[in-house]
Amino acid sequence: MSQQKKHRILMVSDFFYPNFGGVENHIYYLSQCLIKLGHKVVVMTHAYKNRSGVRYMTCGLKVYYVPWKPFLMQNTLPTFYGTLPIVRTILIREKITLVHGHQAFSTLCHEALMHARTMGYKVVFTDHSLYGFADVGSIHMNKVLQFTLADVTQAICVSHTSKENTVLRSGLPPEKVFVIPNAVDTAMFKPAPERLSSHEIVIVVISRLVYRKGADLLVEVIPEVCSLHPNVRFIIGGDGPKRVRLEEMREKHSLQDRVDMLGAVPHAKVQSVLITGHIFLNSSLTEAFCIAILEAASCGLLTVSTRVGGVPEVLPDEMVVLAEPDPNDMVLAITKAIDLLPQIDPLVMHKRMKKLYSWHDVAKRTEIVYDRALRCSNQNLLERLPRYLTCGAWAGKLFCLVMIIDFLFWRFLQLWKPDREIEVVPDIHLMTKNEDTWDSSADESLN
Amino acid sequence: MESRLSNNTSKTDHKWRKVAYGGMQPGFDDNHTDESFLEDMIMNANVVKRDLVKVVLDSISISQYLCIVALVVLVWAYTLRSTFSEGSLVLLDVILLGAGFFIVLLTSETISLNLLLNYFLKISFFITGLYVLSPIYHTLTRSISSDSIWALTASLIVLHLFLHSYSFSAIKAPGTLESLTFTSNISLNASIVASLLIASRLPSRLHVFAIMLFSLQVFLFAPLVSYCMRKYSFRLHVCFSLVLMSVTLFFVYRLHQLLFILLSSILIFVNLVCPYWLIRIQEYKFEINGPWDEAKLCFNITE
Repeated sequence: MSQQKKHRILMVSDFFYPNFGGVENHIYYLSQCLIKLGHKVVVMTHAYKNRSGVRYMTCGLKVYYVPWKPFLMQNTLPTFYGTLPIVRTILIREKITLVHGHQAFSTLCHEALMHARTMGYKVVFTDHSLYGFADVGSIHMNKVLQFTLADVTQAICVSHTSKENTVLRSGLPPEKVFVIPNAVDTAMFKPAPERLSSHEIVIVVISRLVYRKGADLLVEVIPEVCSLHPNVRFIIGGDGPKRVRLEEMREKHSLQDRVDMLGAVPHAKVQSVLITGHIFLNSSLTEAFCIAILEAASCGLLTVSTRVGGVPEVLPDEMVVLAEPDPNDMVLAITKAIDLLPQIDPLVMHKRMKKLYSWHDVAKRTEIVYDRALRCSNQNLLERLPRYLTCGAWAGKLFCLVMIIDFLFWRFLQLWKPDREIEVVPDIHLMTKNEDTWDSSADESLN
Repeated sequence: MESRLSNNTSKTDHKWRKVAYGGMQPGFDDNHTDESFLEDMIMNANVVKRDLVKVVLDSISISQYLCIVALVVLVWAYTLRSTFSEGSLVLLDVILLGAGFFIVLLTSETISLNLLLNYFLKISFFITGLYVLSPIYHTLTRSISSDSIWALTASLIVLHLFLHSYSFSAIKAPGTLESLTFTSNISLNASIVASLLIASRLPSRLHVFAIMLFSLQVFLFAPLVSYCMRKYSFRLHVCFSLVLMSVTLFFVYRLHQLLFILLSSILIFVNLVCPYWLIRIQEYKFEINGPWDEAKLCFNITE
């Protein structure tokens, strides 16, 4: 490992701390592990409220919060060329060798990857979500993805289902798409110190209460389970538009003493909620990977989940009970899980999860993808344009035009402000060897 | 998992599994792709095979309504040329009203005296209101030049035809649950404004009343009548439409040859070219479903 060339990676996404979610988590942990492997990692995202400029996080992870206002769901306004100057400056200042973009609906990621390709950098893209092919929104999204991925050096998906989806959406050859799953910080998600009593069985649900997460399924399933099993109690963490429906259901079936609604649970408290339960229930209608299941399994909970998207690949069969997204089937699955419960030892489960998933493993596998991306041959603009032309009769020509203008703009910037005039930042090594846990909130401004 | 570690040397023994857990599978790269790739993809699961004859027959209801509108425009044209007197217009109104009632009564399953009386009362209110308001309509657009009126009317009629809901009637037929959509409302209003504009160019109040009543009868009730007829018997609907088409073409031919060519080419386009086109582009239909699709709930959400 040590004689290998160390990479200097720029992670780009609209989604990063202080926002919370699967993508944010993934970028953070992946960056931390890559730093531990000796690479240099810089993150670029847009400004969050007054968090703008350069900040440092644990282990000297440098984050550029570009002062670019989000306009919808934490996405920046697509401007095509507006971000080129700042992307170019960051790439040169940090002596970046490889750009890694995350999430298909991050506009900042698409723009940065486009500029990086124009400037001749190797780019890697990670897709974290699934998309259908039928509705108007997906069709447009898929076209944008096709544009970005037409010239991406390597792509990463979080599950095999996600890989199939990405290959279909973008037309990439499957050999260029790697499957590297998410992982879980098992040190943070430890099971309860002593086993819970089995007189009362607690089922935990932690998710945003929205349609896509199957909140409507919960409304049907919970009363049914409560009437079948008098010793079952539910704890529901999360908030969202469907919360009212769940509360209505609780009133209607007089389950106030058996269904606890906690409201939104901050990520730091998720573990303490999880360890109060025996069974974790996931009712998502679509899911590329589902980190929530990993966190629950790491806390030693038996998982009951809908069989959607990449969920069946996430856990070995003996750690999860899968059901079709249908209330009757889910009630059956919960019953099966309750019967299985005496054989489950949370501590054994936790130890097994430690073997199955680790961010260090993810980082090592991502490193292989980086190595491979850097081995790919360099291509000039004329060699790359035909790839865009194949994207569609009209779209292909439009994409080519966009790339040519980007190229000209880049050349203009080079004349206006030559590369040598951009100051290069010195590297600071803040990394300490014995750290094994991370505290994501421990960042400090050095700006 | 343990056995995997023990015989790490003979990598070929391991079968690649489509799972995400357990780290990198020994002997296989992360971009490994085998025959199980895309095995759960389903193509064209919900594609309906369409039959040319059925599509042509279905498209007849569009051309039927086109002909009805063309006939209304014809009546307007003849009235503006003073070919029709106000007396004959009123007679036409009465005949149309009677015929419409007759068809609706004949084709509907539930006839009660109460409902009939109700209809009758409403229509008499409607007619009285129209009669009282006709002096206002008569002078409504006096300050506007005739050219603007023709242009506006023509564009409103085109808008009406464009937004009209051809599959349902604009008024709720007895016993149906369809509700009005926004576009069909716009369409109906466009037609009413168009007839108002035309009526305001006429010489006398009785003319205005008669032409307004005629246009409103057709625009409001023709879709209802044709809907009832189609529900009663499809054969009758087709026959009636064919007769209506030939009558319309005949009268349009007598009015203006260019208009005749235009109308007949539109009818051919709607009835023959479009169905053929639809069938032809069916083969380009390509639907992909698979495990990445959002699951559909099998029950209704009652908010």
